[in-house]
Amino acid sequence: MATGLYPQTKVLSKNFDVPNAHTLAVARPRGAYQSLEKALRTMTPAQVTEEVKKSRLRGRGGAGFPTGMKWSFVAKNTGKPTYLVMNADESEPGAFKDRYLMERDPHLVVEGALVSAYAIEASAVFIYVRGEYPNSIRRLEGAIAEARAAGLVGKDILGTKFSCEVWVHPGAGAYICGEETGLLESLEGKRGHPRIKPPFPAVEGVFRCPTIINNVETLSHVPWIVAHGGEAFAKQGIPPDPANPRSNGSTGTKLMGVSGQVRNPGLWEFEPGITLRELVYGYGGGPLPGRKIKAVIPGGISMPVLLDSELDVKMGFDELVKVGSGLGTGTAIVMDDTCDMVEACVNIAHFFGHESCGQCTPCREGCHWMEKVFRRVADGDGQPGDLDLLESLFKGIEGRTICFLADAAVWPVRSIVRKFRGEFLAKMTPAPTPAGA
Amino acid sequence: MPKITIDGRVLEFAPGQTIIQVAQANGIEIPHYCYHPGLSVAGNCRICMVEVEKTPKPQIACYVQATDGMVVHTKSAQATEARAGVMEMLLVNHPLDCPICDQAGECKLQDYAFDFGHPTTRTPVEKTHLPKNVPFGAKIVYDGERCIKCTRCVRFTDEITQTHELSMGARGDKEMVIMTSKGEFTTPYAMNIIDLCPVGALTSKDFRFESRVWFMDFTESVCTGCARGCNVTVGARGGRVLRMTPRENQDVNRWWMCDAGRLGYGHANAPTRLTTPRVRTSARAGEFAEVGWEDAIDAAVEALRDAARGGVLADAGATLEELFLLKAVAGRGDLKYASRVGQDEDGFLIVNEKGANQRGAEALGFARAAAPAPAALLFVERGDAVPKALRDGADPVVAFVTDGADVPPTARVVFPLPTWAERDGLLANVDGIVQPIRRCRAAGPRDLRAPLEVLEEIRLGLDAAATPWTHADVVAAVRGAVAPAGLAVPEVEFAPAAPRTVAAPASRTR
Repeated sequence: MATGLYPQTKVLSKNFDVPNAHTLAVARPRGAYQSLEKALRTMTPAQVTEEVKKSRLRGRGGAGFPTGMKWSFVAKNTGKPTYLVMNADESEPGAFKDRYLMERDPHLVVEGALVSAYAIEASAVFIYVRGEYPNSIRRLEGAIAEARAAGLVGKDILGTKFSCEVWVHPGAGAYICGEETGLLESLEGKRGHPRIKPPFPAVEGVFRCPTIINNVETLSHVPWIVAHGGEAFAKQGIPPDPANPRSNGSTGTKLMGVSGQVRNPGLWEFEPGITLRELVYGYGGGPLPGRKIKAVIPGGISMPVLLDSELDVKMGFDELVKVGSGLGTGTAIVMDDTCDMVEACVNIAHFFGHESCGQCTPCREGCHWMEKVFRRVADGDGQPGDLDLLESLFKGIEGRTICFLADAAVWPVRSIVRKFRGEFLAKMTPAPTPAGA
Repeated sequence: MPKITIDGRVLEFAPGQTIIQVAQANGIEIPHYCYHPGLSVAGNCRICMVEVEKTPKPQIACYVQATDGMVVHTKSAQATEARAGVMEMLLVNHPLDCPICDQAGECKLQDYAFDFGHPTTRTPVEKTHLPKNVPFGAKIVYDGERCIKCTRCVRFTDEITQTHELSMGARGDKEMVIMTSKGEFTTPYAMNIIDLCPVGALTSKDFRFESRVWFMDFTESVCTGCARGCNVTVGARGGRVLRMTPRENQDVNRWWMCDAGRLGYGHANAPTRLTTPRVRTSARAGEFAEVGWEDAIDAAVEALRDAARGGVLADAGATLEELFLLKAVAGRGDLKYASRVGQDEDGFLIVNEKGANQRGAEALGFARAAAPAPAALLFVERGDAVPKALRDGADPVVAFVTDGADVPPTARVVFPLPTWAERDGLLANVDGIVQPIRRCRAAGPRDLRAPLEVLEEIRLGLDAAATPWTHADVVAAVRGAVAPAGLAVPEVEFAPAAPRTVAAPASRTR
């Protein structure tokens, strides 16, 4: 592990290297469920929500929506139960942070779920886990069984009036079921077709009941916030921009990872503020011997790509948006100079075409069309007008569908086409007049 | 009332109405595939995208509700570009096999491609191939490549019949409709999905490859398969009925009809149909000679004048006007009707009573024929409605029958009867709603005369002092006669008799 770099802050990852931390016997002496006890015995649900609001915690699933605000949208007095859904369908290529949490500290995940369920007065938590994560499923189920035996899950938790069930629901292998409304449909036993919004899940979610959906990492922050207070959380990381009253900054800590063509791929925890360059070159160890870094996608495959020259950006929600990309899941994918960017586009377009649920015309047909065009350019059969055709496809796909999968399909490949135009032109026959990069 | 502006027109709307509903109510066409007023909103085809001021992205008109002060543009650059983009996407993998597709001519994909699409293709790529010619039960064929995945058919089996035989299967551009049940529909309404399908992905085995739709003649009529009286469009060509499809009527059948009714036109095309009048030539039963219409009418007048008895036995599919004239001609005896009574009433459309005008017959004083009894006049469109025992027991003097097999051997005169597809008239359905059936000019044998005309001539022949009645006179008389029974006869215009014409095809889908 590199030292002398940006310091790690181990909050979520404090048990990652502790043997058998997935068992209650090890986890509880290390503090597990203390926040649950504190919340249930000394705080009202509204007070928990208030602390989360003060913490300025933003969703760690990719969109960065303020968690406390999301919770405040939950419909009250509907006569229906309220549910909490934990989105553990981590299927974004390049993302592997939630798996670490679920496998190495499942009791933290369960505690986060329970405290959050208490805050929104939910009677049950559904943890929707990616089907390709059998270890995560096993560890979570083991943790829930242990917690139940210890009176931490189920009826009258810790002898209080709060009752909450926690269910693990394995996914069946569809990326789209990580989209929150696609997830809800899948949880109900239907095809994972995202729903049109409104109504938003907080009003009508799973089984038509008010539902809050949060990412694993997001909810895993809640126990620390309850233990130390929202203001202590907000002091970490990047504070809100004082000039912008709507800014929430990037507070607390964030699991960040690097994968791809680097010496030292891995996962670490930082207060946002580390730059992408420090992450990739410092913790990630930089390029393999004799190679150069060509492009980095900062947070899972669905974010626009950044060039090596653009890596001095801080790993924060707003900072990455300002440079035309996004924090996403905070797990960077590195491509070096041996990577053919046209082939990368073929691969990315293939992924999104394959994972498109098929509902909306532009996404269903457009993603595969993009793939076919990228394929022919990669094979040397590109036509001179293909880059213009691709630009018009991006326009025809982005923002024209029910959910954001189509947008996610466009962003990375569009940024690659624009930033590596020369690589595309070089493959075209007859070679058209070079334009742009 | 709140107001919305669509394409510069300020329109009032009821809260809760979507943009497309307000537009449709005011005659503004917003293209749509997946939207259907009888189904939930899926919002997946994206062709209905319009520009809404103060929103950055184009919005789907089928889902977004109108709000007071909203300004919508359906023809702006943003809306036009969005629509053309969707249109192009829909055709990327479409086989473009219009020359062999039944839907051609009434296909929304063709219509919108013509209206909004790109004139040239930018897709010289291998198309995605999917299963074709997939049987969906015994009556429907599915083509995965033509399918635009609008899910109307899936929503129909989920929401209307709630039988859930269909689902979407696979994902991305491999997505297609699959049958979840074991290859057969349990609902008797399955064929509605053919009409719902905005393209040629679902076709009817019955109608497949029978005719290009633009060669057909379409007539708005009513199904006579049972007493529900579902509103239909009858498609015919060259003397044959080729297709029946439901027509929207919110009071009767909404947008739907049952499969049995839809396919229940076989007797109109039967090769055994009677096409010329016949007069019995000897005392022996069953020996008839073919004669002209005037000779037959004269013979009928003579025979009825000689007959010692009156009475009528009529198929309950006879129209109010026909029943009225049958009564006028032979009213001095018992007035009876016969109809088939099933056991398949389902609380939706199908009712047990199969006599299309049973309520009308009752209102005109006809009673159900309980046992064989003599009658001077016999009127049979469907042989199964008036069983042979009743027909034989009637021992009629003059008979109107559709099929040669149903000719009563002892009748003196037999007139060939046009089917419901070839007659004008009024029927009272199970709820007492009086609706017109209309003569489809391209259906049935040529030169058949309407029973109404024939009966009127017989009536005048029997009573030289009688005043001649037009169809309108009969309708007026019927109106008064059935009013006490609670039946309201609407004002209906019937087309005058005219040579066969070919009308422009009517669109089947909304």
